[in-house]
Amino acid sequence: MLLLQLILNGLQVGAIYALTAAGFSLIFGSTKIFHFAHGATFTIAAYLFHYALTNLGLHWTLGVAMAAGGAVLFGILLDRFMYAPIQRHEGSFFTVFVASFGIGIVVENVIGMVFGRSFISVSTSLSRSVELLPDLYVSPLVGLAVLTSLVCFVAVHMFLMHTHAGMALRALSENTELVKTFGLSPRRLSAYAFALGSVLVVPAAIFTASSSGLNPAVGHHVMLISLAATIVGGIGSIRGAAFAGLLIGMVENVALWQVGTQWSEALTFAVLFFFIIFRPSGFFGRAAVS
Amino acid sequence: MTAYILNLVVLISIYAILSTTLNFIIGYAGIFSLAHAVFFGIGAYTSAFVAMNLTPSFFVAIPIAMVLAALTSLALALPALRVRGEYFVAASLGLQMLAVTLFSEWKGFTGGIGGVIGIPPVEIFGFALVKPWHFLILTLVCLALVIAIIQRLVHTSFGRSLKSIRDSESAALAAGKNITVIKTLSVVLSSSLTALAGGLYAFYMAFINVESFMLATSVLVMAMVIIGGTGTILGPIVGAALLMLLPGALSYLSFLPQTEIGSIQQIIYGSAMVLLMIYRPGGIVSPKTRGEAA
Repeated sequence: MLLLQLILNGLQVGAIYALTAAGFSLIFGSTKIFHFAHGATFTIAAYLFHYALTNLGLHWTLGVAMAAGGAVLFGILLDRFMYAPIQRHEGSFFTVFVASFGIGIVVENVIGMVFGRSFISVSTSLSRSVELLPDLYVSPLVGLAVLTSLVCFVAVHMFLMHTHAGMALRALSENTELVKTFGLSPRRLSAYAFALGSVLVVPAAIFTASSSGLNPAVGHHVMLISLAATIVGGIGSIRGAAFAGLLIGMVENVALWQVGTQWSEALTFAVLFFFIIFRPSGFFGRAAVS
Repeated sequence: MTAYILNLVVLISIYAILSTTLNFIIGYAGIFSLAHAVFFGIGAYTSAFVAMNLTPSFFVAIPIAMVLAALTSLALALPALRVRGEYFVAASLGLQMLAVTLFSEWKGFTGGIGGVIGIPPVEIFGFALVKPWHFLILTLVCLALVIAIIQRLVHTSFGRSLKSIRDSESAALAAGKNITVIKTLSVVLSSSLTALAGGLYAFYMAFINVESFMLATSVLVMAMVIIGGTGTILGPIVGAALLMLLPGALSYLSFLPQTEIGSIQQIIYGSAMVLLMIYRPGGIVSPKTRGEAA
């Protein structure tokens, strides 16, 4: 029964990781920007949701709207005012990574100063677990998380496959010059990628806030998961990142059968390292070893 | 007052070793490591362990610590450097998180969360360095040595190979350079010198715990390198001095809430990193042309 419980938890965590990782992978794949501040987007969304519900006492739909608005705004502003100027003159991996990392530090500390550094969690009526079977506690959030991520993935898939903007984004990931030749603006497409990628972390941030809780430093953990899932899934493959996120969430939780919770990050590292050694191109990636 | 300044100079020198060694891989090899504090920690814990269980001799404890850090970095670098640069960032971030867990759980070696207390003063040829003055000299000598080693290496063919890899990996490959081996060697060398800083830190503080070796330290050292200027000798040292003086300087500004000094410091260097990348990617001490620092 414990194993079943852990598998269910793994499913919820995995769904959350899948969404986060897919957002990062989408941005990285199409714009080639190593968006380390993706973790900061997650933190901002989670704290806005927390603020709306706990401090302002708003209805949860307004909370979700605030979180989504904040995340998208943050993503687009970063793209417009930080990445665009950097890419204009050079935009090597180094400069983009450092700037993105710097903004992550700023966000973590500003949030820490405003909301305090301790753990927060938003309790909703859905967080309460019910005993489904003897010794099997399930909260409605599990189903909701899995359902939401499925809906999100179908929506992203439809967007990328069947709309002009989506097709242009896929084209951008293949060849920036060619996109320009066709008269499309890579800058505008980049804004789409950031909006979409940032909005994908919102459900993940909200589910994390209402189940396990979080603190301002969660951004690094989010980034570790996103990076690990992007690599394990294969760079440039959103589908791969999502599956890898699910896999990592599962491994972390099922392993609790044998080891303590403090080792969850070690397990993520183990999965990542295993793939780097034995299959560096990931599930769906192209060959990556030089 | 002199004690305060003495303490500050010793700490700045230790951090200058950290930033110089990190600069060696960031600035010359173009490898981004978020795990620098791990090797710092391995150096500190190993030196402490050897000093307490075997001998506090500098020439025994430090080499053991350096070898251990070198081996750990080899295990990380060998697989992770075969592939794209992003892989190493991810792998080193993972290692940093794993190491924090390990440092706080492995009670026999690291003393767990509580840390290691009562590390004996370091001995050089049987002479115990008890006075802060003596320790300051030792630290400065070590810093000078590290700078000399790296300065020397940068101007050898190995250093030129490194820079060529940083500037264009495919060109270096075409010129017949074994990229993975060269990069791995640079990481191993940098990590072992980092362990030297760890050993000095353990002996100087006489007490260490996991707090000093967390991701925040890796980030701080990276900020030192970037703000000072990558790929220069002076840059990381200037960066280390600036960021180490910052908390003291901030505490003079009495209108700032004293409990938030740590956060304010991080906000300052986080913003500095962003602004520098937009306006002056080479850092404060940047080479003449941008092309050289890329």
